[in-house]
Amino acid sequence: MASVLLIEDDAMLRRGMQLALSRHGHDVRVAGTGEEGLAAIETSRPEIVVLDLMLPGIDGVEVCRRIRRVDDLPVVMVTARGDDFDVVGGLEAGADDYVVKPVQPTVLDARIRAVLRRSVSSGEGVRAHGELRIDTTSLTVTLQGHVVPMTPIELRLLLTLSAAPGRVFTRQQLLEEVWDHDYLGDSRLVDNSVRRLRTKVEPDPASPVFVQTVRGFGYRFGPV
Amino acid sequence: MSGVRAAAVLGALLLAGCSIPSTGVTGAGQAPTGVAPGPTLYFLDDDGDLQPRVRETGSLGTVADAVQLLLVGPGGSGSRTGIAETSVTRVVVTTSPERVTLRVPLAPTDVTAAGVDQIVCTAWASHVQHGGSPRATVVIDFTIPTARSARPRTCPLAPEP
Amino acid sequence: MRLRPRLRGLRARLVAASALVAMLSVGAAVWAAAASASRSLVDSYERQVVRSTVDQVSAVAPTLTYPPDQESLDRAAGAVGPDAVVTFRDRRSAAEARTALVTDALRGAVRTGDGVVTQRVRVPEGAWLVVGVPVLATAPDGSARPSGVEVFVVQDLAEVQDQLDRMTRTVVATTAVTLPVAVLLALAAAGTVLRPVRRLRDTATRIAAGDLQARSEPRGADELADLTRTVNGMADAVQDSVTRLQRLQTDARRFAADVSHELRTPLSTLSAVVEVLDDAVDDLDEDARESARLAVAETARLVRLVEDLMEVARFDAGTARLQLDRLDVVEAVRRTLHARGWLGEVDLRVPAPDAQVWAVLDGRRLDVIVANLVGNALTHGARPVLVEVRSEADDVVVVVRDSGPGLSADALEHAFDRFSKGDPARSRGDGTGARPTPGSGLGLSLAWESAVLHGGVLTGDNDPEAGARFTLRLPRAGAGS
Repeated sequence: MASVLLIEDDAMLRRGMQLALSRHGHDVRVAGTGEEGLAAIETSRPEIVVLDLMLPGIDGVEVCRRIRRVDDLPVVMVTARGDDFDVVGGLEAGADDYVVKPVQPTVLDARIRAVLRRSVSSGEGVRAHGELRIDTTSLTVTLQGHVVPMTPIELRLLLTLSAAPGRVFTRQQLLEEVWDHDYLGDSRLVDNSVRRLRTKVEPDPASPVFVQTVRGFGYRFGPV
Repeated sequence: MSGVRAAAVLGALLLAGCSIPSTGVTGAGQAPTGVAPGPTLYFLDDDGDLQPRVRETGSLGTVADAVQLLLVGPGGSGSRTGIAETSVTRVVVTTSPERVTLRVPLAPTDVTAAGVDQIVCTAWASHVQHGGSPRATVVIDFTIPTARSARPRTCPLAPEP
Repeated sequence: MRLRPRLRGLRARLVAASALVAMLSVGAAVWAAAASASRSLVDSYERQVVRSTVDQVSAVAPTLTYPPDQESLDRAAGAVGPDAVVTFRDRRSAAEARTALVTDALRGAVRTGDGVVTQRVRVPEGAWLVVGVPVLATAPDGSARPSGVEVFVVQDLAEVQDQLDRMTRTVVATTAVTLPVAVLLALAAAGTVLRPVRRLRDTATRIAAGDLQARSEPRGADELADLTRTVNGMADAVQDSVTRLQRLQTDARRFAADVSHELRTPLSTLSAVVEVLDDAVDDLDEDARESARLAVAETARLVRLVEDLMEVARFDAGTARLQLDRLDVVEAVRRTLHARGWLGEVDLRVPAPDAQVWAVLDGRRLDVIVANLVGNALTHGARPVLVEVRSEADDVVVVVRDSGPGLSADALEHAFDRFSKGDPARSRGDGTGARPTPGSGLGLSLAWESAVLHGGVLTGDNDPEAGARFTLRLPRAGAGS
């Protein structure tokens, strides 16, 4: 269904996960190290990367950071510990979502599908907010006339918020709407994606005007 | 509390120790003596023996008083004396507990042997009545001393030591 | 008495005892000296009076007419002194003297004529010395008999008393000066004894407060130094044991954490491949199919166990952090139930149909707690299982109650122990359902620790009406506020 690049150093897990994800209909390629993975991205152009954070050589966080530096390839990371340090490091490096070992293939499949889910054209036209223009038909965003590249998650986050300017969304609501988490998820996913979104669409990310924080509740779009 | 009580007891003891308490009757030595109706003088009876006789002068008087009265003579009492009559009766007496020294206005020739005993016994008796020792000896200084005159003598009537 | 409580301390007792001993010693020595001095003072005064009286009487006696007339008596009295009275039978000298102080005993002793007698008489006005002198009449043969003439001298001792009083005042003043010096010396002595004691106490206090490194330097070779060395030795032993125990415990915890960590990657592989296997069961024969299903179920169980062990390791290492979020607890509980397919199996009671109970909580941990409690009730208790969410003052309360026979006292006591017997995980899980039933034997224990981490409580008891009841109470404002 999707072309997945799995970067995982443990050969058994690599093979097992390849088998399971293939059962779920994905086209899975594998890489055993970060270097191999980065090279594979260049050659096979996958739609999504599933990245183990614990890798020999350059580690997962660094791989994620390098992927983010060149394009908006979605990344789901696999953390071995589930400790705050790993999760925060991975999210700050730009991962869109994460799963914790022991990994359930069904859960990983759900995450992959959610992260890759394309927004549906609402056909309502262009939402213009100052210099920010969101084309809900072609699903493109321009700032000062330049196209802003985004991952599907970032785009859905922006579309969800801007659909109802001024309305406050809790983090849990956003997790459901944007990440398809069916019950309580990690709100740091939202916070990190909001931070990345701001660097892309806000003229001054330090004092945002489009994606605003409502302390103690969540986020809202505008009012502009 | 025990400290306070101890201090109080201590204070009481201190004060009690320094005030003069009542006592019972305590002995404090020998009683003085010396009262008598008069001195005892020794004269001689008809046999020439020494005979004590109290001369009632009212008080004991001194040893010198007694010897002077002896020198004055027996008077009309019927006694005799072995001491020559003399107009000077002045006697000088020096006493210590064990010895009485008499300086008499007489020469040895003025006094018979019995007369010497008279003088010795009178002085001795007076000395004893004054509280002196009965074993005291008497030394007589005559006006003209001889080789043997100044020896210590004892009264023949004195109790044996 | 105000003194009593102050005497409780060791220092106060030492000082008081030393000062008392010093005072008593000084007092006793001074008193003995003063008493002896006063006795010899009075005695010598008395001897002097007696000698002078006897001398006077001896001098006047030979001149006394005997038997004496009134004139003689007066003359004799005058010769002896102004305080003298001379008597003969019932005659007496005319001059005034305090003859009232002459006691009958003294008069009798004089009458026997054995010798001079004295007596000290104390009356309110002061002390007096009475001297009784019988005058003897001695015969030339040396035999003496009382002459009947008696001389009494009544001498005022006020002067001697004055001297004694002055001495007493000096003694008291000296003692009073000595006392502060004694107290100062006692304080200094107490200090040298108490300083090591205080050091030792400070050390013991620090050890008791957890500073196992605390030691006192033993000084000298006395009993206190011995005690200090003993305490140091004890502290060494305690420190050794504690260090060893801590190392053992740390090792055990790290081992558990390492093991569960190492299990995660192979478990992930297992999870992946049994899922593939599960999809293929229809093509297998009966035995292989059952084996495949068992592999799937047991893998799921292993996964839960390892996840719980990881959480335990976080609590043990103190690295468990709350991921606080503001959320509607009614909605959160409903989702927990929904996610595990339990909505139809439990009776969810909320304050009102559309009620919301907002609280600042770690949503993932709330989910784990509620899932554990409800899973426990469904597996072990009898249905219906009641789940109630309500708001109480500053707390949000979640009650999970079943309709079974309730828990035994023993089970209640150990309900929150790790791998407790009452936990559903001790019985075989059914292995069905998309969401595994919580239970690794650690569920209730972890729920309890999560509640505590939130600043709340989780308690278990038996509902008077029916079944076991677990009550979760968390502060709505979030942990620590």
